[in-house]
Amino acid sequence: MTTVSRAWGRLTLPGKIFFTVVPLLLVLGLGGLIAIMLLGPLVLQILGDNLPLVRFVIAATAVLLAAIPIAFLNIFMEMKVIAFMNLRIGPDRVGPWGTLLSVVHGLKVLGKEDFTPTGADRTIFTLAPVVVFLGTVMSFLVIPFAPGLFGQDFNIGLLYFFAVGGLTVVGLMMAGWASFNKYSLLGGLRAAAQIVSYEIPLTLSVVGILMLAGTMSLNQIVLNQSGSFLDWYVFQQPLGALIFLIAITAEANRAPFDLTEADSEIVAGFATEYSGMRFGFLFFAEYVNMFIVSALTVTLFFGGWNAPFDWPFPISANLDPASLGIGLLILVAVVPLIGTLALAAPFWLMRSSMPTWQALVIGFVLFNVLAVAAVLGWAFVSWEWVVGLLWSMIKAYGFVFFFVWLRGTLPRVRIDQLMNFAWKWLLPAALLNLFVTALAIIVLGR
Amino acid sequence: MTGVWYVLGFAFAGVSFVFLTIGASWLLTHRNKGDHHKGLPYESGIDTYGDPHARFGLSFYIYALLFVAFDIEVIFIYLWAIIFKDLLLGGFVSMLIFVAILMLGLAYAWRKGVLTWR
Repeated sequence: MTTVSRAWGRLTLPGKIFFTVVPLLLVLGLGGLIAIMLLGPLVLQILGDNLPLVRFVIAATAVLLAAIPIAFLNIFMEMKVIAFMNLRIGPDRVGPWGTLLSVVHGLKVLGKEDFTPTGADRTIFTLAPVVVFLGTVMSFLVIPFAPGLFGQDFNIGLLYFFAVGGLTVVGLMMAGWASFNKYSLLGGLRAAAQIVSYEIPLTLSVVGILMLAGTMSLNQIVLNQSGSFLDWYVFQQPLGALIFLIAITAEANRAPFDLTEADSEIVAGFATEYSGMRFGFLFFAEYVNMFIVSALTVTLFFGGWNAPFDWPFPISANLDPASLGIGLLILVAVVPLIGTLALAAPFWLMRSSMPTWQALVIGFVLFNVLAVAAVLGWAFVSWEWVVGLLWSMIKAYGFVFFFVWLRGTLPRVRIDQLMNFAWKWLLPAALLNLFVTALAIIVLGR
Repeated sequence: MTGVWYVLGFAFAGVSFVFLTIGASWLLTHRNKGDHHKGLPYESGIDTYGDPHARFGLSFYIYALLFVAFDIEVIFIYLWAIIFKDLLLGGFVSMLIFVAILMLGLAYAWRKGVLTWR
C-alpha cells in the first residue's frame, strides 16, 4: 500500500488526472457497452412506442442547447465586428482570434455572486429573467430552419411567435418594478412603451405576406418562396420588409432603438440591480432574441432555407456507409492511424528540430479537421436538410451582422423621436402597405 | 392537441433550464450579506433619495391604451388576411371601412397631442 501511495505522491498533477480519468473512462465505457448489449433492444422498443414524446425531448434539448452557442457567437460577433468598425482589434487573447472570450464571459457570470437588493420583491425579481428567457426561447419552437427541422409546425405559427414574443415585455416590466430602483423602473417602463408601440407596425407589416401566402404557418410560408430568389416575399413586399426590419430592431431592443438600457441616461435600465446568473439570463435572452429575430426575418422575407438560385450542378450522391458491413469497422480502426501518420510525416521529415510527439499531435489534429470536413461533406450531399440548414444559417447570420452593423454605425435616437416614428410614420405606412397589397391581389388576381 | 403539449412541455423545459442554471450558480458562488449599504438601490454612488417606486409620466399609460385598441385590430386583420383571396373586393371595402373608423380614433389622438411625447 505504501508503495502505491508513494508512487501517487510522486506524480505531477497531469499525471494524477490521467491515472484517475483513464481507469474511470475504461470502466464506464465497458459498463456502458455491456448495458447497451443487454438493455438495447428493450430501450429501443420503448422509444419506438413513444415516438412523439421522443421527438419532443429531442427538439427541446436541441433548442435549449443550440441557444447557448448561438448566444456566444452573437456576443463574439458584437465585440469583434464593432471593434473592426472602430479600427480596433477587439478580443484576441482567449482562443484563436478571441473566439472563446464570450465563453469565458459566460463562465465568469456563472461564478458571480447573485445578490438581491434589500428593498426588492424577491419572488418577482427572480422570476423576471425566467419570463424574459422563456419569451425568447419559446419562439424557437415555430421557426423552420430546414426542411423537416422545426419544433412544431403550428397553423397559427406567426401569431404564436408574436404572442410568445410579447412575454418579454412582461418580464422586462417585472424586472423593472421588482428591482426597487428608479433607473430600473424607468428602464422597464421604457421597454414596455417601446415594445408595445413597435408591436403594432410589426404585426401589421406582415399582413401582406399573410394575404399572399394565405396561411400563418411559417413552414408553409417558406415553401411558398421556393424557386429562385425572385420568389422571395421581399420583392413583392419591399415596404413591408422595410417596416418589419425597423420594427423588429426596436422589438429586440437593438441600437439605434436601445433606449431601454441607454447607459448614458439610465445606467443599465431594467438590468441595473441584477447580478450573477440572473443578469446573465437577461443578457442571454437578449442575444438569443437577436438571432431569433434574424431567423424570422429570413423566414418571412428572404426565403428561409431556400437557396437563392437553383444549383446548376445537382450534387446528390447516395453513399450508404452501412453497405460496407464489417469493412466499415476496419475502416474506422485503420484510417485514423494511417491518416495521422501520413499527415505527420511531412512535418517530421521537413523540420528535424521538431520532437516526434509534436509532429504526431499536429498530424492528429489535421486528420481530425479533414475527417470532420469529410463527414460534413458527406452529410451535405446525402441529406437535403443539411443544405437547407446551411442556407438559413448563412442568411440569419447575415442579418445578425446587419444588426451589429447598425449598432456600430447609428447613434441612439431620442425617446420622443422613437415614439413619434412608430405612431406617425410606421403605422400609416404599414396600413398603406396592407391596402396596396390587397389592391394588387384584386387587380392581378393572384 | 400535440401542439398544446409541445408548448407546455417546452415552457416547462425552458423554466427548468433557467432554474437549474441559477441553482448551479447559487451552489458555486460565495454569498455575503454585506453591510447596510450593499442592499441599497444603485443611484450613481449616493444614498437613495425618496421612494424608488417614483412617479412616472402618464404618456406610458396612454400608449398602452392605444396599443390595446390596435392590437385587437391586428387580430381581426390577421383572420381577414388569411382568407382574403376568397373575399376580394367585398373584403377590401369592408376592411377599408373598419380601418377608417380606427384611423379616426388615431387621428383624434394625434390631434389631441397624445402621440407627441412629453
